[in-house]
Amino acid sequence: MISTERQLWIYDVMNKIRCFELKAFQLFQENKLRGSVHLYVGEEAVAATVCSLLRDEDYITSTHRGHGHCIAKGAQLDKAMAELMGKATGYCKGRSGSMHIADFTKGNLGANAIVGGGIPIAVGAALAAKLRGSDQVAVSFFGDGASNQGIFHESLNLAAVWKLPIIFVCENNGFGISVPTWQSTAVEDISVRAQGYNMPGYTVDGNDVYAIYEVMEKAIERAKAGLGPTLIECKTYRYLGHWTGDPQPYRTREEIEDWKQNRDPIKRMRKRMLEEGVTTAEKLDEIERLALEEAEKAAEFALNSPEPDPSTLMEDVFYEGV
Amino acid sequence: MSIKTYAMAIRDVIAEEMRRDERVFIMGEDIETLGGIFGCTRDLYKEFGTERVRNTPISEAAIVGAGVGAACAGMRPIVELMYMDFTFVAMDQILNQAAKTRYVFGGKAKIPLVIRGQQGIGRGNAATHSQSVETIFMHIPGLKVVCPSTGADAAGLLRTAIRDDNPVMFFEHKALYSVKFEVPDDPEFMIPFGQADVKREGSDVTVVANLLYVSRALEAAERLAEEGISVEVIDPRTLVPLDLETIVKSVKKTGRLVVVHEAHRTAGWGAEIAAQITEEAFPYLDAPPLRLGAKACPLPFNLGLENAATPQVDDIVKAVKATLYR
Amino acid sequence: MAELVIMPKQGLQMTEGTITSWYVQEGEPVTEGEPLFEIETDKLTITIDANHSGTLLKILHQEGDVVPVAEPIGIIGEPGEDYSNLLSGLNASNAEDQTSSEQLKGEESKEERREADLSTEETSSRRILSTPRARLRAEELGVDLAVIVGTGPEGLITEKDVLAYAQTVKTTKEEASSRTEAIAAPNVAESLSDKETSIPLTNMRRIIAQRMHESLSTMAQANHRITVDMTQAVELRKQFMDNNIKVSYNDIIIRCVARALTEFPELNSSLTETSIVRKHYVNIGMAVAVPEGLIVPVLKDADRMSLAEIAIQTSDLALRAREGKLQEEDCTGGTFTVTNLGMYDIDSFTAIINPPEVGILAVGKISKQVVVGDEDKIEIKPLMVLSLTYDHRVVDGAPAARFLKRVKQLLEHPLLLI
Repeated sequence: MISTERQLWIYDVMNKIRCFELKAFQLFQENKLRGSVHLYVGEEAVAATVCSLLRDEDYITSTHRGHGHCIAKGAQLDKAMAELMGKATGYCKGRSGSMHIADFTKGNLGANAIVGGGIPIAVGAALAAKLRGSDQVAVSFFGDGASNQGIFHESLNLAAVWKLPIIFVCENNGFGISVPTWQSTAVEDISVRAQGYNMPGYTVDGNDVYAIYEVMEKAIERAKAGLGPTLIECKTYRYLGHWTGDPQPYRTREEIEDWKQNRDPIKRMRKRMLEEGVTTAEKLDEIERLALEEAEKAAEFALNSPEPDPSTLMEDVFYEGV
Repeated sequence: MSIKTYAMAIRDVIAEEMRRDERVFIMGEDIETLGGIFGCTRDLYKEFGTERVRNTPISEAAIVGAGVGAACAGMRPIVELMYMDFTFVAMDQILNQAAKTRYVFGGKAKIPLVIRGQQGIGRGNAATHSQSVETIFMHIPGLKVVCPSTGADAAGLLRTAIRDDNPVMFFEHKALYSVKFEVPDDPEFMIPFGQADVKREGSDVTVVANLLYVSRALEAAERLAEEGISVEVIDPRTLVPLDLETIVKSVKKTGRLVVVHEAHRTAGWGAEIAAQITEEAFPYLDAPPLRLGAKACPLPFNLGLENAATPQVDDIVKAVKATLYR
Repeated sequence: MAELVIMPKQGLQMTEGTITSWYVQEGEPVTEGEPLFEIETDKLTITIDANHSGTLLKILHQEGDVVPVAEPIGIIGEPGEDYSNLLSGLNASNAEDQTSSEQLKGEESKEERREADLSTEETSSRRILSTPRARLRAEELGVDLAVIVGTGPEGLITEKDVLAYAQTVKTTKEEASSRTEAIAAPNVAESLSDKETSIPLTNMRRIIAQRMHESLSTMAQANHRITVDMTQAVELRKQFMDNNIKVSYNDIIIRCVARALTEFPELNSSLTETSIVRKHYVNIGMAVAVPEGLIVPVLKDADRMSLAEIAIQTSDLALRAREGKLQEEDCTGGTFTVTNLGMYDIDSFTAIINPPEVGILAVGKISKQVVVGDEDKIEIKPLMVLSLTYDHRVVDGAPAARFLKRVKQLLEHPLLLI
């Protein structure tokens, strides 16, 4: 059972993510964002729910579609937006842009532009926790496409054989850019692969906060008990293209609309919370409004932030301090 | 001072550092009971246990990635790769993750990771197990590159590497492991990075060499001394950071430079040194800087062919004389 | 009518001379044709006779002064005569002389450079290839790259080429800068203490020192020796003497050498940075010892002279050398040198090549020696050792040996000269 507080937290985070992403999309269309962004719209339940069970000292690594995880792991919207715009006030001083956002103070070991690149890093963080004898856990977020990378298999095997406190969360949104999973992946449910590595595997509705929460709780318990990793597959869907500007010839408008209208994670949670009398509509409206406001403020902050000074170019290649 | 092999020098430093700092641990293939196929971790598991001396599956990418993650999460991992040729299997984790994480994350992370292993010719290991790959890691920014040529250098530089808060690529040489050297016993003996070593003083020609080629260059220098040619041999020890100043000072004195390495000649690190020296010491040059390196072919198994593919002492002698127009 | 006494030009390349002695003091009478003063150039020392009679009214340049050619150094006239008009013209002509002597200097140094280059007219458009370090050294040492022979590929001037040349430049520079102080009291020995005597260097000594050193430091000198049976030469000389033609052994040697040089032009050449220049004429220098040191007058076209002509020339040159009456031209243009110390009982010796030549033949004394003849018979013959020093940069051992052998052959069978 999820506490009210936590449910509200999750709802809040989902909305923040949604507003942030849509705002970023708008800025991109207004040509105010360089490069491209990979938007998480529609997948918010996974990041929000998983991270609701994590503390600041727990670790995550994420993907090129990482704004959601970043925000869910405690990032401030303004600094995140500033980073998207490459400003000096961004989380990474404008060096990383969208795909490498990190905040080590909140255990976010970074989004990763290389598909699967972050998986072994999360394994390493879990290894550190084990060596230290602490009760920290690590979560590796990755997509269905990454589950076909060699590094996925190496990482699962390594984590399993060493019984590391890590949860592998696969966000299966049905596509690897334009390639549907049935075309690229030998199995229908990616969670099946857990068997190959002697760990429990679950497939859940990735747009159902409560379903995710249930398995995630179990997985964390298992990890903290020193029993090793778990693979959780969350089946979800992204409303927007792979990247901003993706013309999406590979799916139909009807399909997208179906998910938006009938399976939207935020709508569903709102409905359930109201049905179960967890909170009031006003409260939820308030959360939604504030989320939108915050996203707007973040955009303003980012737009008004300075560019990084070119003289700082060579800083931080190496750590030179004591 | 003790007399010990290059491999033991390395082993002893790993042990001393693991004693000193419980965050230091080492993982790699066959490093536990076997003690590493070259003995660099012999019996360490007996003292430190199998948590801190970990055998890994054959998963170079995952091991290196785990090293990056553990370093990000506050540990000080040493990853042993059995052959540095296998860095190719883990390239994304080394060049994209380890090298870039600190910078790309705005300086927030420290990645105190050492990736160490051996490379080079000498055991008939053929094309995919005999390469010299240090040049590649000099090229992509974000990694320190260390190549010790003696037991003492290995000890002093490895300690510095382990205590460095940055990712360090530490290249040992398979043919040096069983060679005995004088090694200081001081558990604080450290050689700073970015400090080249003049292994032999001379006045006519500067020869820059690393790893196995330091001893070959010294051999060539002996031969040339008999002909009245005085050769100065410099071992850069670390390619990143590079101590160019010592080499410049030497070339200003001698006017002539030969760089010899086991890595392939084309786009090898010798070309970088030659170019930098030409830029920094052009008016002092009496001849164009020359580079010797392996030929542009994969290294063959047959010893005669392997010798033909790699620079020999004769070649160094000839190159030195060429800079003297002899 | 007062007349100017000027520094006389003594030879094509002279640009200045040093007054070493005035034989007449100011105010004393001067007789035309009598020695008036002595000058020294880098080739020789010459006594100059007065062109006019009268009184030496004024000495404009003292002993030790270095004076450009044609510049006035004194005035001869009647006592009490007004010679101020000569003096006023002097300043103007001084200036003129200066510019012309500068021009001359410029020409001369160009010529010198050309000489040093050992090259022909083509060199002015030549590209100088040199390494950066060579240029650095050249700048440090104040050396002109144009005069250096490069030993690197395609004539590349390398550091060692510059260093090798720098020595000669150094001595030349020292020589040039000290010319003014040159001869305060050239022949006076200063005794510093009972244990040492310091003798200031004369110009000739400086020149000899510089040229000897330059010769050895720029060339790769090697040496061959051969023993010659002078029986036939002795006979030849007797024949000439019996016919009242005075001929020395040295003359015979010169005759044979001149012939051999036409057959071995490589020994009659000089080196540039890109070529070996073979001369089509044979001018043999003969070294003559003089009190001040050494002088090498030259027999021009020795290959076209008969033995008798050679004999006449050599004795004339030797006499003039000893009397200090040689002209500048007498000492230039040599293509090979013969030097003889036989009169000092020297068996054999190694001479130093006279640049820009590539060979020098050192002749020892003739002495009766026991030799093993045909059928192992013991015989007594007059033997003489010839020692050839040659520049191995230009001439290899075998051709040098062949040349020497040919000289021997001619000396042992002089009828071959017919």
